[in-house]
Amino acid sequence: MAERTTMLRVDHLRKVYESPRGDVEAIGDLSFTMGAGELVCIVGPSGCGKTTLLKCIAGLLRPSDGVVEMDGVRVTGPTPSMALVFQEYGRSLYPWLTVRSNVELPLRHKKLPRARRDRLIDESLEAVGLAHAAKSHPWQLSGGMQQRVAIARAIAYEPEILIMDEPFAAVDAQTRADLEDLVRDLHRSRGVSILFVTHDIDESVYLGERVLVLSKSPTRVEESLKIDLPDDRDQITTRALPRFTELRTHVYGHIQRAKAR
Amino acid sequence: MSAAARIKTIVANLLFAAGLPVLILVAWNALAKKPDEAVGAEKFYPDPVTVGRAFADNWIGPAFAHEVLPSLYRLGIGIVVSIVAGVAAGTVIGLLPWLRELTEPVLEFFRAIPPPALIPIVMLLLGITDTMKIAVIVSGAVWPILLNTIDGVRATDSIMTETADAFRITRWQRLWYLVLPAASPRIMTGVRTGLSVALILMVISEMFASSSGLGYRIVYFQRNFLIAESWSGIVLLGLTGVLLAAIFGFAERRILRWYHGMLEVERG
Ligand SMILES: Nc1ncnc2c1ncn2[C@@H]1O[C@H](COP(=O)(O)OP(=O)(O)OP(=O)(O)O)[C@@H](O)[C@H]1O
Ligand SMILES: [Mg+2]
Repeated sequence: MAERTTMLRVDHLRKVYESPRGDVEAIGDLSFTMGAGELVCIVGPSGCGKTTLLKCIAGLLRPSDGVVEMDGVRVTGPTPSMALVFQEYGRSLYPWLTVRSNVELPLRHKKLPRARRDRLIDESLEAVGLAHAAKSHPWQLSGGMQQRVAIARAIAYEPEILIMDEPFAAVDAQTRADLEDLVRDLHRSRGVSILFVTHDIDESVYLGERVLVLSKSPTRVEESLKIDLPDDRDQITTRALPRFTELRTHVYGHIQRAKAR
Repeated sequence: MSAAARIKTIVANLLFAAGLPVLILVAWNALAKKPDEAVGAEKFYPDPVTVGRAFADNWIGPAFAHEVLPSLYRLGIGIVVSIVAGVAAGTVIGLLPWLRELTEPVLEFFRAIPPPALIPIVMLLLGITDTMKIAVIVSGAVWPILLNTIDGVRATDSIMTETADAFRITRWQRLWYLVLPAASPRIMTGVRTGLSVALILMVISEMFASSSGLGYRIVYFQRNFLIAESWSGIVLLGLTGVLLAAIFGFAERRILRWYHGMLEVERG
């Protein structure tokens, strides 16, 4: 694999939540880079600041210290080159809009020609397998389908990087497997970079080209592990590979150490 | 279900709905005084037929244009102004925390004033005009709408707001596609309360100072001991209230279709 150009750079990031009841240091000192077109998974114990990190990267939160750079430019607010899929997908879709309008809303201010906008919406709904549900409202869909709407909305926005925060934590195992394959498909067919947060070790190894293990709060990068599994992955055969087991044991060990510290 | 059975249930439902009103009419008729009792008693305790006749004589035909339409006009304008002002001000106040803290005590004070107490003052300022009556209606109906809008706008889900931030949704789109729809269930609650307040104030403002309108006619009849006519005015007021509720119900079902659908799904 050729060396990729750096797209995202997080440098000595620190985030402290200030509140009258005392400050919470959610992220201690965190640095990593991500290449264009990469699929990076972040794992870490619950409450270690994964959501906080993503919000800092997406420009929704201002870091207390350090910088986030996207394509060499410092991120100071939300940028059009990033799209977010939230952990609370149910609350991130607007219940008064149809599925189609939810996907369309972020495109309205992009000043695209009507035909192109329609095509983007159709294609992204098609890609997540929800073309038939375009006229439904989010609350008429199952959790897995709602999560797919959130993904369709994000990819229709045509970001360079797709940021996903534990997107499959609340769906059943079968749906989860389908959605994992969907993410890998989108990554390969669209060449979009993906930063994927999860607390499921197997999921991180199965999905990622690289896994970043975070320590518990105040958070640092404990380990950056390259996942040298074949690119063609399959829920049954890949997970049965001895190398898969090795890698997940490796990540598991790091998380245990991160927790113990 | 067969056609016959369906017709049967429809008839049964109709009979059920009509049952209580018919019962009330019968009881009223039984209690009303008839012309052969004590002299003039039937004048004070008219039966339903007399009131019905007074209704036809006094409110249908040219009187409708003279007496009813002006009232409805003032009521309509009052309601529209209350909704527009309440929602607009409520949205701005709800979105700006500093403005909310600044205005909260003042709003509480004005809301606590019973609007009829304002009538003499507003009358002095604006004269006995339509504007004065509309001002009185607005002075009462705007509060529930304003306060509910503030609460609704404030309670907009933080994740929904962050979603709008992350996708860089513009200010006006955010207002139209996020803030107002998110607040719409609360806004509609406010409007429902505002409507009944508006109807009350329409009548009261006309009773105080007017030469036309429903309230004016009801007081006029009462002062001239035209009891059946007075009652017929009250019947008309009731019908106006029912009509308002029907229009509101229709609008609410359209605007909050998503909300009712969502609640239904949540209840399972
Ligand atoms: N708005 C906030 N104000 C104060 N503290 C916060 C805030 N948001 C998060 N925190 C704290 O910061 C720490 C990290 O929270 P964060 O949500 O980023 O963790 P997480 O890794 O995403 O957790 P999870 O796996 O449960 O989603 C936690 O201790 C949390 O209590
Ligand atoms: Mg989180």
